[in-house]
Amino acid sequence: MLFAKKKKKIDGDKHYVSLANIVGETAILYKKEDLVSYDCDGFTIHKSMPKAVVFPKSTEEVAAAVKYCAENKIPFLARGAGTGLSGGAIPLNGEVIISLAKMKQLLSVDFENRQAVVQPGFVNLKLTNSIANKGYYYAPDPSSQYVCTIGGNVAENAGGAHCLKYGVTTNHILGLEVVLSNGEIIEISENGIPDAPGYDLLGLLTGSEGTLGIVTKITVRILKNPEGKQTVLAYFDKAEDGSHAVSDIISAGIVPAALEMMDKTAIEGVEAGTYPVGHPRDIEALLLIEVDGVAAGIDEQIEEILKVCKQRNVREVKVAESEEERGKWWANRKTGFGAMGAISPDYLVQDGVIPRSRLPKVLQNISEISKESGLRIANIFHAGDGNLHPLILFDSRIPGETEKAVKAGTACLKACADVGGSITGEHGVGIEKIEEMRFIFTDEELEAQTKIREVFNPENLLNKGKLFPTPSRCMDVKKVIKEAAAN
Amino acid sequence: MAVTEKELQAKPEPSCASTSLSNYLWDDHPDENKWADCVHCGMCLESCPTYLETGQEQHSPRGRVHLIKSVAEGKLEVNEQFMDPVFQCLDCRACTTACPADVDVGGLIEEARGQVRQAMPLTGWKGTVSNFFLKDLFPHQNRLNMLGGLLKFYQKSGLQNVARKTGAMKVMPEHLVQMEAIMPELKKPVQKRYKDVDVIPAKGEPKARVSMLTGCIMDVMFSDINQATINVLTHNNNEVVLPKNQTCCGALHVHAGDRETGKKLAKQNIEAFKDADKVVVNAAGCGCALKEYPELFRNDLEWKEKAEEFSKKVEDISKYLYDTGYEKPKSPINKKITYHDACHLAHGQGVRHEPRQLLKDIPGVEYVEQPNADTCCGSAGIYNITNPEMAGAVLERKMENVPDDVEMISMGNPGCMLQMAVGVQKYGRREEIVHTVQLLDWAYQEDEKNGIGKSSAQQTIATGKE
Ligand SMILES: Cc1cc2nc3c(=O)[nH]c(=O)nc-3n(C[C@H](O)[C@H](O)[C@H](O)COP(=O)(O)OP(=O)(O)OC[C@H]3O[C@@H](n4cnc5c(N)ncnc54)[C@H](O)[C@@H]3O)c2cc1C
Ligand code: SF4
Ligand code: SF4
Repeated sequence: MLFAKKKKKIDGDKHYVSLANIVGETAILYKKEDLVSYDCDGFTIHKSMPKAVVFPKSTEEVAAAVKYCAENKIPFLARGAGTGLSGGAIPLNGEVIISLAKMKQLLSVDFENRQAVVQPGFVNLKLTNSIANKGYYYAPDPSSQYVCTIGGNVAENAGGAHCLKYGVTTNHILGLEVVLSNGEIIEISENGIPDAPGYDLLGLLTGSEGTLGIVTKITVRILKNPEGKQTVLAYFDKAEDGSHAVSDIISAGIVPAALEMMDKTAIEGVEAGTYPVGHPRDIEALLLIEVDGVAAGIDEQIEEILKVCKQRNVREVKVAESEEERGKWWANRKTGFGAMGAISPDYLVQDGVIPRSRLPKVLQNISEISKESGLRIANIFHAGDGNLHPLILFDSRIPGETEKAVKAGTACLKACADVGGSITGEHGVGIEKIEEMRFIFTDEELEAQTKIREVFNPENLLNKGKLFPTPSRCMDVKKVIKEAAAN
Repeated sequence: MAVTEKELQAKPEPSCASTSLSNYLWDDHPDENKWADCVHCGMCLESCPTYLETGQEQHSPRGRVHLIKSVAEGKLEVNEQFMDPVFQCLDCRACTTACPADVDVGGLIEEARGQVRQAMPLTGWKGTVSNFFLKDLFPHQNRLNMLGGLLKFYQKSGLQNVARKTGAMKVMPEHLVQMEAIMPELKKPVQKRYKDVDVIPAKGEPKARVSMLTGCIMDVMFSDINQATINVLTHNNNEVVLPKNQTCCGALHVHAGDRETGKKLAKQNIEAFKDADKVVVNAAGCGCALKEYPELFRNDLEWKEKAEEFSKKVEDISKYLYDTGYEKPKSPINKKITYHDACHLAHGQGVRHEPRQLLKDIPGVEYVEQPNADTCCGSAGIYNITNPEMAGAVLERKMENVPDDVEMISMGNPGCMLQMAVGVQKYGRREEIVHTVQLLDWAYQEDEKNGIGKSSAQQTIATGKE
C-alpha cells in the first residue's frame, strides 16, 4: 500500500480488545477481509468464518488466550500451516483460531542423543535442512513438508513417502508440551525419555487432530543419514502389473524406504504441473521405489527390484543416475496433489488404507466409481503402505458436481473398508470423514472414544465437531451407508 | 495505509459496467481462469516473503488468491481492507515457482490492483506524488535526464557533502536517506552518448544485430551498466541498436495498478522495436514486464497478437550471451563473489543458471553460492519506497544470507542493486554490488590492457549450451 501505515486501533467486540491485550495489537485479525483467508484449510468443500485469529509468540500467550476463551465459553482451535486435507482447522463454530505460525523456532538440537526440540509452527522440511550439514535428518516426510508444521504433523500423525520403512510421526515424537483446554500447561515425557511408565499419553495426543490440547513444544527423534540410497522408476503398461509388483517386492523381503505409485490420470496431472519429468503418457502406472541403508546391501536389493519389475512386464525401468535426477523424480511426486490444479479446477483427495494384496481389486473398484460418477479419479499414493489417495477431480462451479465428488469419495472409502481396510491413513478424519467413522467403528466404540475426549476437553470448546460424529447426524450417515451398500 | 473519507467519497462511477464481474465493477478485472487453477494446497506459503514476515494468510499467495476470488464471488468488496494485502505483495513471483499448479498469482494481483486504483484513485498529496513519478517523470526521458543532470550537479558541486554534514538528511524519511547515501555516481546516458549513431558496430566480424532496451531511470542512474552491456555485446561480435523512440517499460505502472498508462507505454515500445530481431535487456524487472505485455492486452486481440510477437524477441542479457556464445576472458578478477537471483530473472523469466555460468567463466573468480539466493531483497520496483517497513524486514533476511567473507555481490537488476547497496550500508558490511555484465566487461578491459587480442581469444568462444 502506498505510504506509511497508520497504527491499527482495535474496534468492535470487547473480546477483541481482551485478546489483543494478551497477544498484542498487531497479532490479532478480526476484520472480515482478513478472516476470509482462514475460512478453510486444504479441504475446501466446507467453509466457515472464524471469529478472530490470534498469533501468540509463546506458550504463555497460547495458555492465556486459551484460558480467556475457556472462561468466556468461546470455541477455539489451533492452526498450523492450514494444509490439512480433512478440514481439521476449519472454524465450523466460528472459533477463535490460535495460529502457531509465529511460533516457528528450532529451539535446540542434541546430536549426541539424536533429538531436536521445536516450536509447533516450525516447518517440517526446515528441520532436515537445518541438520543436513551434520549428516542428520527428520524422517516423516509428508508431501506437504515444504510448508506444513510439525505441530500439525503431530495433530494429524502425518505420514509420508519414507514412512514405509521408518514409521509415521508418532514413531518420532519423544516429548510434548501441551496447553490443555482450560489453559493449563503440561509436559509429557519432559526430557524426551521414551516409554515412561503409565499410559502412553504421547501416543494418545499424537493423531488426536487438535481435539485434546494445543501442542506448544515438541521433542522429536532425528536420524543419521543412511549410508547409501538408490531410486528406481518403473513404467507399467498395465496398472495390475504395477500393483502386483508392489506386493512382490515386499514379499521378496525388501523393505524399501519408499514405494510410491501413480496412475495414468495422476501422471497427466504431474506432467502438466510445475515439475514435469517426461513420463510417458500412455502407461497405466508408474512406481517410484527407493531403497536406502548400509551401502553394501543396496545393489543387491536394486537387482531384486529390477527382476521383480521385469517379471511383471515392466515397459521401462531405470535407476536414478544422479542426485539431481532423483530430486526431480521426487519433486514431481511430492507436488502431485497441487499439480492436479493444472488439469482440474478442484479436487477432493481421499485417504484410505487397505491390505497391500487387495490393491488390484480396490483400484478396479475405484475405476468403476469413477465411471459411475462421471468424474475423473487420479491415484497417487503410498503403495507400499497400502495407503491410497484417490484424487477426485471436479469443478465446483458446475452445480451438483461437488456433491457428486463427495459421494464418490465416500464410495472409495467404503471400498477400502470393505476389504478390511481403514478410512484414513494420514490425512485424518476432521470434518470430512466424520460420518465414515461408522464404516469402521460401532456406536459403542465411538462413545468410548468420545469419553476420552471429555477428559481433556470437557466443555468441547476445543475444535468441536471434528473427528467423531455427533449422534444427531447418525441418521444421515446410515442413509449414506445404506446407499453405498446398495450400489 | 489509511484511506481518508474524502478518498472514499471520490469513488467514481464504474466506467464500463458491462464487463464487470460481481464486485469487480471495472473493466479488465481479475481473470477467473487464473484462480480456477488454485487448489488451496498451501504449497506456496513458505516461498512468500510477506507471509514469512507476518505469518498471516491474507499476506500469503494462497490468501491473496482467495481474497481476490472472494470479491468476484460477491463476499467482499474492493475496499481499504482488501487493498492492504493486495498492495503488500512484493510482486516477487516466488510463489509462481513454488506453486505446483502454475497459478499466476502475480498476474492476478496486478489485475486486482487495477481494480483498487479505479475504485479508490489516489487523491490529495499521495495522488500528486504518485502521479508525478508514474505519469510525469518515468515516461519522459528528457525530464529524467534533466533530473539526472540536477543529481549530478548535487554530487559534483559539493552540495551532497553539505547536505550530509548539515543534517539536512534528517528531515527525509529514513529509507530515502539510506538511498541517498548509496546513490551511484552518475555518468552520461548511453542514449545521449550514441545520439547520432544508428548501429554501434561489433568489434569483430558481426554475427548478429540486437536492439537494446536502455530503460528510463536505468539510463540516468546506471548508464555505466548500459555502457558495459554495449561493450560486452559488441565485444562478442554483436551490432547494437538503441531505438530512439523506446520508453519506460511500464512495470512500475502495472505494479501500482495503473494499467492504462502501462498499456500506452507497452504500445510505444512494441512500435519502437518493430524492426528488431532481438530485444536485449539488462534489467530483470523491465525484461519481465516486456515479456508479459501479452497479458496486459488479454482483452484486446489486435494488440495481444503484436505483443506476443514482441515478447518472443525479448531476452535477458545473460541468457542472450549464454545462448549465442561469449568469449571467456583471460585476465583474472581475483574476487570472492556471490550471486543474488533477482526475482524477475529467476522466478519471472526462469533465468538462474546462465548468469552463474558467466561468473564462473571469469578466471580468478571464486564463486560462492548463498543460501536462499532467490528470495526477494525487498526492492520490488518502488516497493521499498511505498512499503519501507516490510521492505526493510525482507532486506534484513536477505542480508543474513549473504556469506560473511565475499567481496562482491553480483546480480542482474538495478533495483536490487540499489536495495542491496542499502543493505550493505545499513548493516555495516563491505561487499561491492555489481551487475553481472559489468564484471565481464571489466575482465575484457583487463584483457585489452594486457594485450590479449581478440583474434587469439576467438577460439575460446563458449557456447553455454555445450
Ligand atoms: C499437497 C498436500 C500434500 C499432502 N501430503 C501429505 C502426506 O503425504 N502425508 C500426510 O500425512 N499428510 C499430507 N497432507 C496433509 C497435511 O499436510 C498434514 O495433515 C499436515 O500434518 C498438516 O499440518 P499443518 O501444519 O498444515 O496443520 P493444519 O492444517 O493447520 O492443522 C491440521 C489439524 O491439526 C491441528 N493442529 C495444528 N497445529 C496444532 C497444534 N500445534 N496443536 C494441536 N493441534 C494442532 C488443527 O487444529 C487441525 O485439526 C498433504 C496436504 C497437502 C495440501
Ligand atoms: S509475488 Fe511474492 S510477495 Fe506476492 S504473493 Fe507471491 S511470493 Fe508473496
Ligand atoms: S497458489 Fe498454487 S501453491 Fe498456492 S495454494 Fe494455490 S495451487 Fe497451491
